[in-house]
Amino acid sequence: MIGRTPLAILGLALALMACPIREAKADQPRYSAAALYNLGNSYARAGKPGLAVLNYERASLLAPNDPDLDANLRFVRASSHLPSDSTGRFSRAVTMANATVVSWLGVAGVVVLGASLLLGSVSSRRRWMRRAVTVMGVALVGFTVCHGVVLWRTLHAAVVVTNATQVRVSPVPMGDPLFTLPEAETVQIAAEHANFVLIQTAAGKTGWVSRANIVPVVPSKNLP
Amino acid sequence: MLALTLYLFAAAPVFAIASLINATLQPSQISMGESAELTITSSGSSMGPVALPEVAGLEFRVIGQSHRIEIINGAMLVTTALIVRVTPKAVGIFTIPGITPKSEPLVLRVNPEGSGNSSVLGNLNGSGKSPAGVRADGIRLTADGSAFVRLILPKRDFYVGESIPVDIEMGMRNGFVTSLNGLPTLTGADFTLNNLSHQPERVPKLIDGKEFTLLTWHSLLAAVKPGKFSLSVESPLTVRIRTRPQRESLLEDSLGDPFMQNFFGATVPKDITVASPPAELTVLSLPSEGRPPQFSGAVGSFKIASDLSATTAAAGDPLTLRMQVSGAGNFDRVDSAMLQRLDTWKTYPPKSSFKPSDPAGYNGEKTFEQPLIASQPGVQTLPGVTFSYFDPSTRRYETARSPPLAVTISPSLADTSSSASASSVTAAAATGTGTPANSPGLRPDHVAAAGEAGQNSLIPLYLQPRFLAIPSLLSLAFAGGWLGLRRRASASIDPRDGRDRVVTKATQRAVMTLQAAARAGSAILFFNAARSALLGTVGVGLDAESDEIRQLFALADEANYSGQQPTTTEFERWIEIVRRRLLNGQPP
Repeated sequence: MIGRTPLAILGLALALMACPIREAKADQPRYSAAALYNLGNSYARAGKPGLAVLNYERASLLAPNDPDLDANLRFVRASSHLPSDSTGRFSRAVTMANATVVSWLGVAGVVVLGASLLLGSVSSRRRWMRRAVTVMGVALVGFTVCHGVVLWRTLHAAVVVTNATQVRVSPVPMGDPLFTLPEAETVQIAAEHANFVLIQTAAGKTGWVSRANIVPVVPSKNLP
Repeated sequence: MLALTLYLFAAAPVFAIASLINATLQPSQISMGESAELTITSSGSSMGPVALPEVAGLEFRVIGQSHRIEIINGAMLVTTALIVRVTPKAVGIFTIPGITPKSEPLVLRVNPEGSGNSSVLGNLNGSGKSPAGVRADGIRLTADGSAFVRLILPKRDFYVGESIPVDIEMGMRNGFVTSLNGLPTLTGADFTLNNLSHQPERVPKLIDGKEFTLLTWHSLLAAVKPGKFSLSVESPLTVRIRTRPQRESLLEDSLGDPFMQNFFGATVPKDITVASPPAELTVLSLPSEGRPPQFSGAVGSFKIASDLSATTAAAGDPLTLRMQVSGAGNFDRVDSAMLQRLDTWKTYPPKSSFKPSDPAGYNGEKTFEQPLIASQPGVQTLPGVTFSYFDPSTRRYETARSPPLAVTISPSLADTSSSASASSVTAAAATGTGTPANSPGLRPDHVAAAGEAGQNSLIPLYLQPRFLAIPSLLSLAFAGGWLGLRRRASASIDPRDGRDRVVTKATQRAVMTLQAAARAGSAILFFNAARSALLGTVGVGLDAESDEIRQLFALADEANYSGQQPTTTEFERWIEIVRRRLLNGQPP
């Protein structure tokens, strides 16, 4: 009834869903929320707040609602005399689920939306039910998009891992220093050039920092 | 400077001797009939008893005493001068014993009258001729004895490019020079002179018993080419010139004070240029033999030292290698590329800064700072830095070397983090048993769930291209299915529907034409329009003629000849018949 081509595409999509997407390459690191959390604790005990915050931030991507993780992150930041991130209610609600779950919810939203579209074309009965299904599909897709928007800052964040990091006016070692960053401060990455990264602090100040002084929360390889 | 001079004339021949006392005789050579002036100066507001010397053939007569009070930056300086006229009674060379036991004796040469030997005092007294030549101390006064300028150079040969420390002295007689109109300048174009400060050293000085203000500039001279040169400096200034013959101003000059001289004798300002006696100097070329390849033109005497900003660093961290070049010479030509092209280091061009230790910048220290970045961890040794220069004292090139520097490079923190993260999944620490929870305020470690595989990326699935293919293909599939359903639904609709819409519109148009003809009462128009509409309909699909249609066609033919006029009811009946016939294609 639908046609051969759409059925073939649907079959390909289902095959992709069934194939082992999460299969890791041999040389690729694997991340676990518990492992990253424990690593952050180890660095915190060793007096390295920068690396501790880095691993907590990474762990929070995999386990966004872990109270221990939030508590330790706040504790380490407070110990370094840094303010804790204040996220809004909307952001907390959107990032309630982890990114993997949200991804599959988005796929489910696409399926529900498409099914309602097809049903509407086939039959005109139970129009209210079809509308409800359509709204649900749109909501699921919208939730996924909002999750991506909220998470975008974290995906492009970096943590200062050395103390009194010099922020320079230009991306060269002899560039005049603008200000210094304390260890464990989280900054946004705006651009990259050679061995330097253009960062922006929470206060809005910008400057170039050596790559050796900061570590991205998400390794920048394959980052959109 | 505020100066106030008071004059007191004293008749007593004997005065007390002050602790700081100085005696000058000016001029030291006179002719018979002229007088010299012996000025005895002491510090303080009063002068003790002074015993005038007794020399056979010379007459000493006190002609005045002056007090000079100067307030310099709030500090008061008081000097007292006793002016004694020395008049010879015979020709010869006379030795005047020192005023104090430690004073040097003064010598006065008296020439026969009219011998032509002029003197400064004589000039001042009215001759107006050029002054004597260069004195033994290198001073050449102007014609009126009001000023002089002197260039003081080291007595040796110089090299091209070498910085030569020079002093430029300018003496201005108090009360005679009214203004200095510019800084001293070189007369030749073969030398360059560093900028002179606008505030030279300023000291009072007595020259031949006259009070001068001595200005001294310190600068650096550099020759641009080799050869033998004659060099002098000159400076513009304004002096006051008497309008009366000096012979008539003998009294004022004999008073020995500019204030009284100006008071008794009218003067006018005049711009003059005073020049120094020419100095002969030889400039040599730098030898080409033994010149090091990295020689940058530095001439002088230097030594170097080097250090690193830190002895330990992480790979990728910038370090700063500093080299200090200190000594004396032309620091503007002191340059160095420091370290270049090291295997395990990334080097950048150095920056330099100079810190002079004298106003001219001849002595000082120049610091070079070179950023370096180590690319590999481990204990590494930086080679020593070198600096080449030409030493004019030894007349050869020298190369100074600093010792090598050791530095410990640890792995990069970023590498440490990523490797630690990678290994953490498999490490025992990941299970929560590796580190004790002994930090207050820190919540304990988690125990990893059994069978937790972890993720191979921190990037959310919906941003990974492979995963994005799934919703994309699903969307494509649903869109394709929806389009296919739409096409099928369109194909299932009765094809006659389209014709119905066409027929309906044609029927409406025909009915409207018939109604218009009926309202006009024109049977001819009515039946002809009806016949035309029905003929078209027959063409579409009618296959049988009914009686009404035949009757209508007959009436249409008759209407053209008979002039028969149907009634309104008949018109409506025929309109209804035509409408139904057109819509259904069947007889009503």
